[in-house]
Amino acid sequence: MKPRSVFTGFLTMLLAAVMLVGCANQMEPAKKAIADIEAAVAAAGADAAQYIPDQLGAVTDQLADLKAKLDQKDYKGVLAAAPALLTQAQGLAGAAASAKQAAEAARAAALEAMSAEWTTLAGSLPAQVAALESRVNILSKAKKLPANLDQATFDSVKAGLADAKGLWDQATAAQAAGNVEAAVTAARQVKEKADAAMATLGMTAS
Amino acid sequence: MAEQDTSADSPAPEENPYTQWYEVQPGDSLWKIAKQYYGDGSLYTEIFKANQDILTDPDKIKVGQRLRIP
Repeated sequence: MKPRSVFTGFLTMLLAAVMLVGCANQMEPAKKAIADIEAAVAAAGADAAQYIPDQLGAVTDQLADLKAKLDQKDYKGVLAAAPALLTQAQGLAGAAASAKQAAEAARAAALEAMSAEWTTLAGSLPAQVAALESRVNILSKAKKLPANLDQATFDSVKAGLADAKGLWDQATAAQAAGNVEAAVTAARQVKEKADAAMATLGMTAS
Repeated sequence: MAEQDTSADSPAPEENPYTQWYEVQPGDSLWKIAKQYYGDGSLYTEIFKANQDILTDPDKIKVGQRLRIP
């Protein structure tokens, strides 16, 4: 073997070794950068998934890309993209906390509105159902119904009244159990049915 | 038949806001009103019972009186 060839071979091996060492030097920082991002995502916790799912998804998607780069030994690529992603990941916890606070405030406002609606409905529906029931009871005694009311329509009004009374029982039970949302939902249905039945019977206020 | 209303009748203080009201017209009787609302004049007693604060005799209603129609 010629001395020149020996030298070239040695140089090639040296270069390869230097490159290998260089890569190895970047591998650990790349792994650490990914671990830091994962830790920041984990710190955001379940609140991030619940309140800022899109923002969390954007970070986890980019994190997956970084992990793919790591698997491909593209440590340089990992290290180049990691700082920006870490900043995003570190922002998740604060963003989730803000979003949670806003959601809880909105929920509290909605509950307050529902409580007010319940107060209104609870103050009017018993009287409305009582007025409707009174009319239905009287019409049930009639030997002949009014000209504008046939038996089938009257039967549907009676069914509507029975439904309304059952729903009102559900509404009051839900309210007693502290479930304002269910109480208001049922009470709205009571009003809908009572309004429809009263309209059918021509029971307009005058 | 309805007479002219000369009194200042007023509804009872605790009224059901969903109560239907009817203002007595000339020529009205409870029978006629019951037939109009219930289809059966014989149910006039229901109207009379609901208006005992202003009616003492089912045959004596006055034009302009506001009657509850239960």
